Amino acid sequence: MAQRGLPQSKEALLKSYSARLKDDVKSLLENFEEIVKLAKGESDSQLSRMTQCEQDTYEMHVRSANIVRAGESLMKLVSDIKQYLILNDFPSVNDAITQNSKIFRQKQAEADQKLMVLRDDMAADLYDLEEEYYNSVYKCRIAD
Amino acid sequence: MAYSVNVAIEAPIENQIQEIAYDGTEVYQQPLSMSESLSKLAAKIDFGKGQDEKEEKVSEKAEDDAAAKDPAAYQSSLWPWDSVRNKLKNALTEVCVLSDVLAIAKEKRYLVLDPVPQEAPETKAMVTVYARKKALGGAAAVLLTGAERLRTSQSEAARNRTVPDFHMELLQLRKNWRLKKVGNSIIGDVSYRTAGSKYAQSGMFEVTKAEEETTSSWSPPQSPSAGPVPPKSASALKVTLPSELQGVAYIEVHCRKDDEALFSTIVTSSALGSQGPMPDMHWQKKLEAAQNVLFCKELFAQLAKEAVQLPGPIPHMVVGNQIVASILPGIQLIIGLCHSTTTNNKKAVGPPQQKKSDHDHVLEHSIHQLLREVHHKNTHHPFPHPSSGPLGPSKQRCLAGPTAVDRHELMEMSKSKTLLEQIIEQTQHFTMRRRTEYVLDTIAKEVRDPLIISHWNSINSPTKACVKVNIMTHGYDTICRTLLVIHVGKKSLKCICRDGSVMNMSYEIQELRDLLICQIQQHQITAVQALAKCMGWQTLSNSMHLGVGEVQQMGNASSCILASPMGDRLIAVRCEPQVGTHVSVAHSPRKDFFPGQLVKERKWENLGGCFKEVRWDKMEGKNFLNKMELLMASLTSSS
Repeated sequence: MAQRGLPQSKEALLKSYSARLKDDVKSLLENFEEIVKLAKGESDSQLSRMTQCEQDTYEMHVRSANIVRAGESLMKLVSDIKQYLILNDFPSVNDAITQNSKIFRQKQAEADQKLMVLRDDMAADLYDLEEEYYNSVYKCRIAD
Repeated sequence: MAYSVNVAIEAPIENQIQEIAYDGTEVYQQPLSMSESLSKLAAKIDFGKGQDEKEEKVSEKAEDDAAAKDPAAYQSSLWPWDSVRNKLKNALTEVCVLSDVLAIAKEKRYLVLDPVPQEAPETKAMVTVYARKKALGGAAAVLLTGAERLRTSQSEAARNRTVPDFHMELLQLRKNWRLKKVGNSIIGDVSYRTAGSKYAQSGMFEVTKAEEETTSSWSPPQSPSAGPVPPKSASALKVTLPSELQGVAYIEVHCRKDDEALFSTIVTSSALGSQGPMPDMHWQKKLEAAQNVLFCKELFAQLAKEAVQLPGPIPHMVVGNQIVASILPGIQLIIGLCHSTTTNNKKAVGPPQQKKSDHDHVLEHSIHQLLREVHHKNTHHPFPHPSSGPLGPSKQRCLAGPTAVDRHELMEMSKSKTLLEQIIEQTQHFTMRRRTEYVLDTIAKEVRDPLIISHWNSINSPTKACVKVNIMTHGYDTICRTLLVIHVGKKSLKCICRDGSVMNMSYEIQELRDLLICQIQQHQITAVQALAKCMGWQTLSNSMHLGVGEVQQMGNASSCILASPMGDRLIAVRCEPQVGTHVSVAHSPRKDFFPGQLVKERKWENLGGCFKEVRWDKMEGKNFLNKMELLMASLTSSS
């Protein structure tokens, strides 16, 4: 993205997106590493074996949940970035507007042309019909 | 808690009275020495009470109760020896515990202290491995569940290719509408403000993600007999509009005559409800409808404002959602705003209308067009000519100086008409055109003999039209035709006649009718003369505005006298607009000449006799000119 003078809030938002990305990826990695470390089982704690096992179980659960959370957060981030891009991508919006207006102008020209042709045809026909009608004996009752 | 309060310990100035003797002498108590007073004060310390009070104070603190209520407790904290006492007490407790432990360790009578075995039980290694395995399995299950959820959502999106993605729809929406993000919600705008509108009402709407109910709507299979299935409005987007922008709105324009009932029944149109927007309509349609509602509201508000402000001989009325403006005597223009909401599915309010087909599409269209022009003007200012000049004045005004425009023209330039004035002018023109059409057609129907052929010009403006009227006789159209051009304006008619004279007429159609009837009679006389020329007859006299004869109700009678090639026959034709034509014939020399007292000589018979009227209705011939032709032919003598 071209680094123009973005407003402060936009700048902050982009930074926050970047921070979120880093945080989430870091969280994925760290939690995985921690799980692997726990799986090694080299703990020299004061606790008893069973307690340690229980603690490790819980910690692994929490860490895996954290990984899932980070993954989903990444999905959310992707969605947010998409939304941000859609809403703030002014060049593409301008393109769309230009294209739309081109299409509409073209349509307008076509419609105008068709109407002109139609008008001319109708005027010619109307002339003949008027001629015929007023020349004939049969004239309809005119409703006011 | 230790408070550093300086406590001065000193004996009171006055000794306490120990005893008062009967004789009144007071026996004073001996003042306490320093050590005595210290021991006395120490004796006052109640250790148990202090402990209780302390606990009570802690609980009181937790309850956040006012400690001041209990002055004793409050005072205890201020006790100068408190910290000393506490520390001493703690030290005592610990020393006691230590001595107990030591005693137990030493005595070994009841308990034995044993060292904790430090070696890890190798026999339990497998257990820990299993425990780890289980823990890892749990963690893996959590991860798999999460991954499964992600995969499901992905495959769901891939499977429902027909259902567009939220972001794709948002992109489509963004391409067509203005959107911005406010906080966590996406707000859009349907108002015409960027296109030059200055209407105050906002057209905000909110874009949200639609809930996943599309799957349920997919499940019932469509019966094949149902024919073409309407496209499913399974949109991932949901657009929420404010209630005042929902529904369908339109502006209805009527022309009404005064004699029609002022209060007609309100026709509730069932068609409107059925074609109204469904709640699950596609967002594009929904937004377009909302935009239309906003536009109609703006248009009506603008017109209503102008109607109130516009001074006029007959003030315009704004009643409810209806504007009544009188345009010509007896003709009123009614502009109504209809807004139907889908929620109650009935016409909320509508002007009294005669028929559904009665309203005028053309005027409705042009009223829309006028507001669009206003919008366009608001955004498209002409560029200032010197680039430093003010923005706003038109190009015409820039050229006013070089082209030497006078004050009057400048004033004209600065005038601008309001929407209502413009639409009133258009309606006036519309009415005038209708009336002119009516007059022309009725006359063409009533008057059979000269044919009246009118041709409407196909190129016209909303306030100006032109019709060419051709009067001619069937079969004799090359001999004579009378052309009239009628310009239909806003409140007047201008007719340019054959002889170049210009007639200006008001909006009363009778004037046009009278003019046409006069023109028809004049046409007859002119045509007779042209015919006579072809037949070899001579025109002896011709008068378009005959001064003799009885006075006509309108116009003047016209006449001509024709002589046969030999000069022995005369035909006199007199056309009166109201009565019709009279044709008389005379012979010269007259057949019934008898010499009288005054006119004795025979030569006077050549003067011609008195005219005898021809019974015109008994004449052979299809029309007037044909009859005249036959008459002339029969009167022409070869010798």
